[in-house]
Amino acid sequence: MSHGPVLSFELNGEPITTTVPAHWTLLELLRYRLDLIGSKQGCDKGDCGACTVQLDGEPVLACLTLAATTQGRSVTTVEGLGYQRGACHPLQDAFDRFDAAQCGFCTPGILLSAEALLRKQARAVSREEVRAALAGNLCRCTGYTKIIDAVVDCGERLYGPPVTEAAPTD
Amino acid sequence: MLRLPPFDVATPATVAEVVRALEATPDARILAGGTDLLPNLKHRLERPPALISLARVTALRQVIDKDDDNAVRIGAGVSLSTLSTHPLVRGAFPSLCEAAERVASPIIRNMATLGGNVHLDTRCRYVNQTQFWRQGIGGCLKAEGDVCHVVPKGRNCVAALSSDCVPVIVALDGSIELVGPEGQRTIPAEAYFRADGLRHTVRVSNEVMTALILRKPAAYRRERYLKWTVRKSIDFPLLSVAMRFDLETEAPDAPVTAVRIVVGVLGAKPRLVGKLNAAIGMRFSDPKVADMISQAVHSQCRPLENIPYDAAYRRRMLQVYTHRAIQAMATQAATSPSQPGRR
Amino acid sequence: MATRSPTTKSAQAQAAAGGTTKAWQIGRSHRKVDAMDRMRGVARYTDDLKLPGMLHAKIMRSPHAHANIKGIDTSRALNLEGVFAVVTGQDFKIPYGVIPWTPDENALAVNKVCHVGDGIAAVAATDEDTAIEAVNRIDVDYELLKAYFDPEEALMEGALQINPHAKRGNLSKNLILEFGDAARAVQNSQLVIEGDYFFCGTTHAALEPHCAVAQVDPNGLLTVWSATQVSHYLHRELAKVLELPAHKIRVIQPPLGGAFGGKSEPFDLEFCVAKLALITGRPVKLLYTREEVFYSHRGRHPMKMRYRTGFSREGKIQGVEARTIIDGGAYSSFGLVTTYYSGQLLCAPYDFPAYRFHSTRVYTNKPACGPKRGHGSVQPRFALEVQLDKAAVKLGIDPIDLRRRNDLGSHSTTINEFRIGSNGFLACLEAVERASQWKQRRAQLRYGCGLGVAGSTYISGTNYPIYPNDMPQAAVQICIDRSGRVRVFSGANDIGQGSDTMLAVITAQELGVELDDIRVLSADTDLCPVDLGAYSSRITLMVGNACLDAAHKLRKKVCAAVAKRWEIPATRITLVQRKAMDIEDPSHHIAIAEAFSWAEADHGLLGEVGSYNTPKEERHGTYRGGTIGASPAYSFTAHVAEVGVDEDTGVVEVKKIWVAHDCGRALSRKIVEGQMEGSVYMGFAEALFESHEVDPEHGGVHRGPSLLDYRLPTFADTPPIESLIIEAPDANGPYGAKEAGEGPLHPCIPAIANAIYDAVGIRMDHMPFDPPSVLAALDTRRASDMAGTTTRHPRPTGSATGPGRPA
Repeated sequence: MSHGPVLSFELNGEPITTTVPAHWTLLELLRYRLDLIGSKQGCDKGDCGACTVQLDGEPVLACLTLAATTQGRSVTTVEGLGYQRGACHPLQDAFDRFDAAQCGFCTPGILLSAEALLRKQARAVSREEVRAALAGNLCRCTGYTKIIDAVVDCGERLYGPPVTEAAPTD
Repeated sequence: MLRLPPFDVATPATVAEVVRALEATPDARILAGGTDLLPNLKHRLERPPALISLARVTALRQVIDKDDDNAVRIGAGVSLSTLSTHPLVRGAFPSLCEAAERVASPIIRNMATLGGNVHLDTRCRYVNQTQFWRQGIGGCLKAEGDVCHVVPKGRNCVAALSSDCVPVIVALDGSIELVGPEGQRTIPAEAYFRADGLRHTVRVSNEVMTALILRKPAAYRRERYLKWTVRKSIDFPLLSVAMRFDLETEAPDAPVTAVRIVVGVLGAKPRLVGKLNAAIGMRFSDPKVADMISQAVHSQCRPLENIPYDAAYRRRMLQVYTHRAIQAMATQAATSPSQPGRR
Repeated sequence: MATRSPTTKSAQAQAAAGGTTKAWQIGRSHRKVDAMDRMRGVARYTDDLKLPGMLHAKIMRSPHAHANIKGIDTSRALNLEGVFAVVTGQDFKIPYGVIPWTPDENALAVNKVCHVGDGIAAVAATDEDTAIEAVNRIDVDYELLKAYFDPEEALMEGALQINPHAKRGNLSKNLILEFGDAARAVQNSQLVIEGDYFFCGTTHAALEPHCAVAQVDPNGLLTVWSATQVSHYLHRELAKVLELPAHKIRVIQPPLGGAFGGKSEPFDLEFCVAKLALITGRPVKLLYTREEVFYSHRGRHPMKMRYRTGFSREGKIQGVEARTIIDGGAYSSFGLVTTYYSGQLLCAPYDFPAYRFHSTRVYTNKPACGPKRGHGSVQPRFALEVQLDKAAVKLGIDPIDLRRRNDLGSHSTTINEFRIGSNGFLACLEAVERASQWKQRRAQLRYGCGLGVAGSTYISGTNYPIYPNDMPQAAVQICIDRSGRVRVFSGANDIGQGSDTMLAVITAQELGVELDDIRVLSADTDLCPVDLGAYSSRITLMVGNACLDAAHKLRKKVCAAVAKRWEIPATRITLVQRKAMDIEDPSHHIAIAEAFSWAEADHGLLGEVGSYNTPKEERHGTYRGGTIGASPAYSFTAHVAEVGVDEDTGVVEVKKIWVAHDCGRALSRKIVEGQMEGSVYMGFAEALFESHEVDPEHGGVHRGPSLLDYRLPTFADTPPIESLIIEAPDANGPYGAKEAGEGPLHPCIPAIANAIYDAVGIRMDHMPFDPPSVLAALDTRRASDMAGTTTRHPRPTGSATGPGRPA
């Protein structure tokens, strides 16, 4: 099989040039050519969110993004979420403290959706905001409870407690 | 994993280049957000030789206040996330924001575009499956066969219009701007859609949608997009109704001067509900308005078993939810008519 | 400093050790030993494996539900460039089955296909695209047969036999068990509740699709990596079907992306990659599409259930009669056990004075059903708990009180002779009653809002393994060395439920180390002791006990080595906080690594094995089948669900679920809560959203084999869940622990059904409780309101009439 045309983009903060067949998705490129296996494949076609990555900072589905269309853009995967030198992202730490990952298959995608939420809001977030922002990421293990706990807690640790006491949504 | 079929990809940077590429490869398909096209290709509903990506056509991503024309021009490449929160659109056409905000999931809205949503292929429970699955039922009018599983003996494909934005665009009297080899043309949304699940717009294949043109309201307006799905996210609409009332004043009890109700997810074409003249002149807050309109919706709209949910239930719910939505509209603020020349 | 008396010192040491056993590890919350790798995208799941020269395989599947295969022509596929091998059913003539008594499936169809999606041939090629193209070039000549989608029709005389290996036509298993004279007991009761219930089928839908990779070494060793939850049974069946000695096969389960019972038996892909690797000499990978996952299924059986329950005026159960038709699909899977479980697991937490059940499992031309979280007992639990609710209404007894009155109690024996140990059911009821403010709020809720309750029990593993043998049911090996590091080897499958962490917690507790000091190596049949796998909620109790056994032995050696050097009795030594410490003088301690090195000097390399076998005495009856469903310990659960029902649309909104679960002892609190929350979610999803169905009008294709059409609730749909851990330690569990992974699901569905009744006075006896069904039931109730035949309303209807309501 042809290795396809040359493609250059920024991957997790570093420039990368590779080749990719025209009909390959970004998910296939990441997983099967670049060996970045953190982005998962759960449903084949955009129904589950396990393959969520960030394209120019926005969460997108890698299984419905043609690799060729990322030319010149910036892609962040879960491998690029952690801080340098082995430390982890505060969200990963929060997920760890709350046991918010069970099988962990949906977790990379959820982390990227959650990171975008916290980065854009730049303040503590409510449970309702987390539910809305993560509503495209399915999880089959947790019942979502501990994931919401972790994201809310992480928001408060990063940005301080909510300015006004949010009405309990539960 | 479900794989895409082989094809070439072009990534032109301008609308003119897009049109040239379309001309060069007649069966090529336009790739915008990819959230509809790529699943359909994975399902082998089409096998285009090439995809023409709009990823680099930044000119399509603008929202322009065309004050001189008293209109707003929304680029076809604007993402649904951007559209749903755009202050200009939110101020003048809140129901369009509402529709954009209810499409699928937050991740999909980041990718999907207005143009893509307008051209969302019609959907059917017997079509939007894998090729292997369709083999089991012997195909249908829209794919690999010559029978319809929804309307026995039917010769016309009734796959459902499943766009959230289209009913709103029709209700708001929007126009679709296309550019092709012959130049630009603008078609009223009401005339843009066809009752044919195989080809449900009048766009010809070498044209690309460049923008949606919406005239700013000339009257006080109450508008709403109603969507019901089983889940609160991800799902395509099972009920989809766009509602627009033009009123004499901003008060909830102002007399109605115009009304447009457009229903989606029936057949391939959005249904403009007719015979609503009785509502003209009635006070908006009069409970009879909701009664009359919801009954008209119920009697004129017959959902089919083309999408995977009980059609009889959907028909009954059209009336219930329409009634509720109109009642709720009385409690929300009206949109003011625009004043040309002033920003 | 004042001198301290020895007793004070001892108390301080105890405090430092957190009461030695209490706070050091057991009962705390822990960061899971493997979570960070999963969260950083570093953990390699099966599809993340990439081997040099690896080929990709694809299975050609039947588009027909029932057909004879008259011929298969693979030549066009073999001629395609890039295709290395094609195999068919002729390559897998030995049938297998996870239950040794019912080997009724072949890796690929031999001569006939029994459901849409049945595998016919498999191809190995250089890449997936080529394999897909090759599959499309396989020509099959089918002779179509009448297909059966209704179990009762399949049982009729003259029906074609579906499964070629079946012994009794389409009857998969027929079972009648009677304890006491149930018919008479019910007949003589003051109140008889009779009801027909239907539980639709549902599937697991773990987010990771099944995947397997195989490789053959030059010396003939076959290694199979698979997303399985039962490596051992896979190992056995591979040996059988491939006719290889077991020691020439190594099965490795990489990190797993969820299972819920859906990966608890061998599947066609594992045999196919193994065979293709043997034929080609190259590594071979096969990843299911999501659609293939739906067709592989093995999910919850649809059950049609008829229940007759007799009650005294005080609400005491007098007798229970059940008749159940179980729709099995095309293969047996665990169906023999399912059939027993459909009756055997119902006899607690309530005391049945008399009980009779008759369950019949039937073959149909559908994807085979099997075990899904709460195997076999979620369906009858739905029926029984609604029966209890109906009785409570009739008798005017609070539904929680009615359940209390029937409590079987701890250290009791069920009517079917299972021995119950600890039993925290009453505490569970009390916890949900209090947390939901049941008494106050239930009295005040308006029409349209309701509260419902239900209870349940579940097993902590089965007393007997799937194939009869006298060997231990679980074994663990632990090694320690001078570095202070601990290695735990276990055959148990961590499927995301946290069993590796459970083993680390027990080991850390016993050896005084932190979880960080422990490496758990699990589910590799070459490196780890045999374990039977992650099913029937057996791991915490069984593997936990085996681990405790091994860790105890090591602890003894380490304490002895320290005691010898300090010249004090070994009973004075404790291992805690990475130290060996004198209980009577906590200031006297050494680093754990040093203690380990002293022990290593005394004993040589430090390794111990631990085993666990179930207690066999007086655990169950001696009648035929009396062992099936017997367990070393039983968990108990109660739920209260709060719902709002929209009476114009039939939409049920679950506002909150309170779940109290008696897990014996929570070894790691957040993990236990996570299991409870996940269970509640799954039950809630089944109650309102999910239905795994084929379309009989269209040749038996699945109605929606995708995560778009099979609607898993999202973040936005799932109600808040409040977990209440109840601890009634059981003598048979490690530190008293019982299961927490499956029991907490059971009451969810009936609690929601009962809450719907409480809200609007309709009985949802058929699942799922989707809006059209709820609305239809509301219509029926309104019609009977009009006719004046409604017997009793829980709440007065007070809402205004709206459109969509019958005039």
